Amino acid sequence: MNQSNIETLIDAGKKRKADFVEIYEEESRNSSISLRDQKIEQSLAATDYGIGIRLVYGTDVLYAYTSNDDQQHLLSLIHLLADSRGEAGNGSGTFTLPGDVSKYSFSKNIHDPRKVPPFRRLELLQTADTVARKVSSKIIQVGVSASDIVTNVLIANSEGLWVEDLRVRSRFFLSVTAENKGERFVASESPGALKGFEFFEGLAVEDIARKAGERALFMLDAGYIEGKKMPVVMGNGFGGVIFHEACGHPLETEAIRKKSSPFVGKLGEPIAQSCLTAYDDGTIEEQYGSLKIDDEGMPTQKTLLIENGILKAYLADRIGSMETGSPRTGSGRRESYQYAPVSRMRNTYIEAGKDSLDEMFASVDFGLYAKRMGGGSVNPATGEFNFAVEEGYVIRNGKISEPVRGATLIGKGHEILPKISMVGKDLELAAGTCGASSGSIPVTVGQPSLKVDEILVGGR
Amino acid sequence: MDLEQAAGFVLEEGKRYGIDSFDLIATDSEDIGIEVFKGRIVSTETSRSRGVGIRVLNNSRPGYSYSERFSKEALSQMVRDAMDQTEITDPLDMELPGPKPLAEVDLKHYNPALEKLNFAWMREQGLALDHASWESDKRVENVPHVGVGKSSTQSLIANSKGVFVKKESNVAYLGTGLVVAEGDIKKMGSYYRSGRDISQFDPSYIAKEAAYRGTELLGAKPLPSGVYTIVLGNRISPQIFGMFSSPYFADAVQKGSSRLVGKLGNEVASPKLSIYCEAHTPDYPGSRLVDAEGIPTSARTKVLENGILKSYLYNLESAKKDNVLPTGHGVRSYSGRAGTSFSNMIVPLGDKTRDELLASDSHCILVTKLEGGAGCSAVSGEISIGVQGIYYKNGKPEHAVDRITMNTNYFDLLHKIQGISNEYSDSYSSIKVPDILISEIHVAG
Repeated sequence: MNQSNIETLIDAGKKRKADFVEIYEEESRNSSISLRDQKIEQSLAATDYGIGIRLVYGTDVLYAYTSNDDQQHLLSLIHLLADSRGEAGNGSGTFTLPGDVSKYSFSKNIHDPRKVPPFRRLELLQTADTVARKVSSKIIQVGVSASDIVTNVLIANSEGLWVEDLRVRSRFFLSVTAENKGERFVASESPGALKGFEFFEGLAVEDIARKAGERALFMLDAGYIEGKKMPVVMGNGFGGVIFHEACGHPLETEAIRKKSSPFVGKLGEPIAQSCLTAYDDGTIEEQYGSLKIDDEGMPTQKTLLIENGILKAYLADRIGSMETGSPRTGSGRRESYQYAPVSRMRNTYIEAGKDSLDEMFASVDFGLYAKRMGGGSVNPATGEFNFAVEEGYVIRNGKISEPVRGATLIGKGHEILPKISMVGKDLELAAGTCGASSGSIPVTVGQPSLKVDEILVGGR
Repeated sequence: MDLEQAAGFVLEEGKRYGIDSFDLIATDSEDIGIEVFKGRIVSTETSRSRGVGIRVLNNSRPGYSYSERFSKEALSQMVRDAMDQTEITDPLDMELPGPKPLAEVDLKHYNPALEKLNFAWMREQGLALDHASWESDKRVENVPHVGVGKSSTQSLIANSKGVFVKKESNVAYLGTGLVVAEGDIKKMGSYYRSGRDISQFDPSYIAKEAAYRGTELLGAKPLPSGVYTIVLGNRISPQIFGMFSSPYFADAVQKGSSRLVGKLGNEVASPKLSIYCEAHTPDYPGSRLVDAEGIPTSARTKVLENGILKSYLYNLESAKKDNVLPTGHGVRSYSGRAGTSFSNMIVPLGDKTRDELLASDSHCILVTKLEGGAGCSAVSGEISIGVQGIYYKNGKPEHAVDRITMNTNYFDLLHKIQGISNEYSDSYSSIKVPDILISEIHVAG
């Protein structure tokens, strides 16, 4: 969209008395290739394109999006939105952007995936398939895919912001199914990064495939843990999904502004033990959830959420900041032009502590070692969460014992947080996808190993 | 370009490039909606989204692409992109269908009256529902979600063999999600009405139902761990059955992702259970006369009858692999690859009331809420999930329950079905499953 068109649209919004007008244009080139049953299941290259228009009156948000870039159509959407409020036009003023567009582009380390032929990705998939199947004849299926997306976003607003950001993300996904006498178990891996094709070039595909195959096989024969409340030692890396779901979402101003979080009014108060410090950081180089600017055009930052157990900040977008009084944190995010931005997490993690994994095990007579988590979800309003344990072990008399499958952890985030009594030294981050009101976005979760004194473990 | 012009242009481009065989899906949707919070319209949204996606079979090698731009340049690039993909894909043994006559059934997927619903109507409904939600029960502490909206969609399926089918549909919704509190305990109750009959959109009724769904769980406490008889209430039994629909898809069976491999004609469930796919029921959201690959659908496909597995669901590719006729269960969005799906998944009604099911054991849990599906796997059949509901003793409600988990395996659960009620929930859904009585389920509390 050129400068003149942007100015005309912003002007039209201002003439309809909007306090704030934002234009968001996005064009994405995405490609993916997937292998299943040792055949190419899909190979795709495609283009997404659209424009989002946001008018803000006070803190009321009016949003329109379209994949039609005709200027008259865009103007008609602005008037449709304003009409919905009954806002008459005042006919005065002409909006001008004060400067040239600021452009963020790729670093020179980026290997632009748009210039990589599809067969280069295919080689990776075939390697992963071959290695995983070699683990055992009980491996009956391997699904593997490689995808990347290059997105150019333009954000301009009535405060004079006019910025473009070129983003590239890559993701590898592998699932391995093992079967024995009708029983099946699926193990999966899904690393991702804010990187181009160099992500795949540096990926330890053989190692990832072998470990997933071994885990599927190993867990296939696992029994079940007896379900009850018990201490749980949680593994590092993707274990951070529990903090993301149970505590991260309720710290977003999207929940706070609607008083729909157990952490409303708790700033400055202890909400966890002093061993726990947590951040949400959009600036970590090359991490999957990192951004130079958020989807409202604000540079991202490292935000201290909890310091030694004390709640320090919420994650705020523009509207959340206005309604809660929390400073904006560069956390306005959306899946695409099809969503208005709201406060969302970026790379969320618990900082490394002082305890060793062995010390955690030694403190448990009977409990669960949730070495690897599956997915989970939370209801921010009530704090009720649930998580699946993909790889688990019984802890008996301070030592890891037999593997168990099918365990689920449930509870309330604000009640579990104070029960985290030990924090390990082995911080690790892992890529994930987070779904909420502004769509599915790339994020990173992470934590060192943790001990939770008591949590309900679902089992048999 | 409008939808038909874009589809026509792509069909011509495909011919111009000399592609052997190709099909396309195109959709054009318009949505408007509002959100209300504390008597204020806090969010208004309007959208127009459209896209066209092509699948080419070039020397039997498939390639996919799509575009959300409807310019000639973008659509031509899309065709070239799809062709490029065919250089690396494996050949697919599959033939696209030619045009066939479709059943003459009015699916009632379009109500012209909905097109007249505007923001003024939404404002009126939304504010009324917000007010009714706050007034619905004195224990309502917050009403974070009130939404009203409607969407209209045109979709089009076409292929190089002459299939060209266009469909128009619309739907509206009105709903609330509220938080009720008693002491330190908070519960959320939600209820949405959607469909094309807006006379059903009574804000007062919707608010009361949402409040009931929250307040019925106040005072909940856990139960001791053990093995229980449970009734999956008809609000959540569709969620469970929906999560485990893929094992019935032929492609999942063929690719080792279903435990139902080799089970055709075998007893895989209690004789009380049947599962049908019904594609021609008027006003059901999943109904369709033709699938996404141009195959006419059947009014009823018997998938499971009296516990016996009768048929898998096939799309073009999986049917060719098993050397059977496709059953009309291909699905595809413009941006995705072809897959398989139920049109409407129907478990026929039983002859017992819910109360009769709950009285069938001296201790019984009525499950009314599931806490996420992360512990459920359609491949392994694992079900490990937090649940909430009501504990019944000798057929009488004793107290609400929460902080418990239900642990079983879907394929074992099918055999443990002891009864099916005579009532579906009133939600506008393509999955209709009544209350289901199941014995011997592990519960941790």
